[in-house]
Amino acid sequence: MLLTYASVKEQAEKRRELTTRIKAIIVDRLSLDIEPELITDDQPLFGRGLGLDSIDALELTVCIEDEFGVTLYDDNMEVLGSINKLADYITENME
Amino acid sequence: MKRIMTADEIRNLIPHRWPFLLLDRVVELEPGKSGTGLKNVTVSEPYFQGHFPSESIMPGVLILESLAQLIAVVAGTGGIEEAKAAGTLEELDPASQVGYLVAIRDVKFMRPVVPGDQLELKVSFGRSVGLLTMVKVAAYVGKDKVVEGTLSVSKRPDAGSEA
Repeated sequence: MLLTYASVKEQAEKRRELTTRIKAIIVDRLSLDIEPELITDDQPLFGRGLGLDSIDALELTVCIEDEFGVTLYDDNMEVLGSINKLADYITENME
Repeated sequence: MKRIMTADEIRNLIPHRWPFLLLDRVVELEPGKSGTGLKNVTVSEPYFQGHFPSESIMPGVLILESLAQLIAVVAGTGGIEEAKAAGTLEELDPASQVGYLVAIRDVKFMRPVVPGDQLELKVSFGRSVGLLTMVKVAAYVGKDKVVEGTLSVSKRPDAGSEA
């Protein structure tokens, strides 16, 4: 596939739209006391990063399914590692 | 109404005892998935002495406890079914199936529950991740919904082979 400047630009915009939406969902559903824009795309979500825990992971799994129709399984929990990993997974698995 | 578990059978399954066994009967049960239970509220309950001396209202957190005990029954019977299927029933201690409450989310208390009310408790298991499971809960008095929300529960880290 030939990548034109326009198509690359469109892809980048789509990607930013998706990551912005994921951040908004995380902040809203987990009632986080932080502005969504302050979450960076590669920041770890759990532990020292954003400080999420396993209880949040359960909630996040459910809302990713609700919002995107994409199922997360016990053995692919690493996709919750960062916004970018989550966005990759959602893009690959959304039909 | 079909009686699935009596108070005595419930006591044999979960470790809760007076004055903290807050589930009288289980009337519908799908092990590991969902259940409906009854809790009859009487003026003789010990907590009415202090909540409140001049106005008896069942503490909302105790309604959640009733729901959590029903969750323990659904999870416990689910564990027993699994053990039956795996042929390891004899090694199973039912009390070991009772997990922990880990989160309470989006809970509403729509009206006060008072002596004479019969609580109809409903729990429905949702997604599980690792040891954790999210459970939709609701309680009714007659046709009125009095409580609704979501409880998350955890299996004991030592229970079961998974995780």
